[in-house]
Amino acid sequence: MADADTDRLAARRPLSPHLTVFKPILTMMMSIAHRITGAGLYVGMALLALFLLGAAIGGGAFSAVSWIASGFIGNVLVLMVVWAIFHHLLGGVRHALWDRGLYMDAKGRELLAQGTLVGGVLLTLLVFIFKTLAS
Amino acid sequence: MTVATRFKSGRTGPGDAYVTDHSGSPHARFMRLTSYALVPLGMLSAWWILGLAGKSLEGVRAEIGRPIPALMLLAFGVIGMIHARRGMDDIIEDYVHDKALKAQAIVANTWASRVIAAIWVFAILLIAAPK
Repeated sequence: MADADTDRLAARRPLSPHLTVFKPILTMMMSIAHRITGAGLYVGMALLALFLLGAAIGGGAFSAVSWIASGFIGNVLVLMVVWAIFHHLLGGVRHALWDRGLYMDAKGRELLAQGTLVGGVLLTLLVFIFKTLAS
Repeated sequence: MTVATRFKSGRTGPGDAYVTDHSGSPHARFMRLTSYALVPLGMLSAWWILGLAGKSLEGVRAEIGRPIPALMLLAFGVIGMIHARRGMDDIIEDYVHDKALKAQAIVANTWASRVIAAIWVFAILLIAAPK
């Protein structure tokens, strides 16, 4: 009984973080983006695994999965995976710096948040440009 | 875990920010250790994954079939999905509050991540292993 009561009360209580009342700030956005890119990469890896399996089997199996990495949808998907890798990677570097007590002041964490955002897009663009030049 | 963490908190001194028992958080350390491997693997894999875009079957096989991309992508898939599983566990624990559903979601995540990694490895081996 006590458990059920606690559960019901807990369900009614608002949960932190209160995303609807917080003023959106960049560090918070980058924290959310870190989680979204992480979950996105989970899905991206699943799709790419299917794509690779199709490529390994060949024939009809490849035609069935080729949309994952070719055509408009495929190109966007691959580009999003690459961007998610870089964004999530830079987000991880940010955490590694914070682990060591670096860049924890207001200016430092703002700089890292901006660096994650700009760096992720920049690295994606860079790889895209070099890849286009190389092929 | 009895190994002392090397990480220092910016606020409270060595280790304290991690957990209350001062043994370091195995989970946080696990995510960090796998992420160190994923930094070089992720950058290299991003390069090769982008190379898959718009390729024909022969093109994809040629891209994945070379030894270095095959080995690096293999490692990226395996370590990546180990890291992703623990990360998804965090997400489930944060958002799924029903106890039974949470337990089921954790099991589903465990197996989904294993299956994804297994397909990834199997596919690359099929393409790249010497015939």
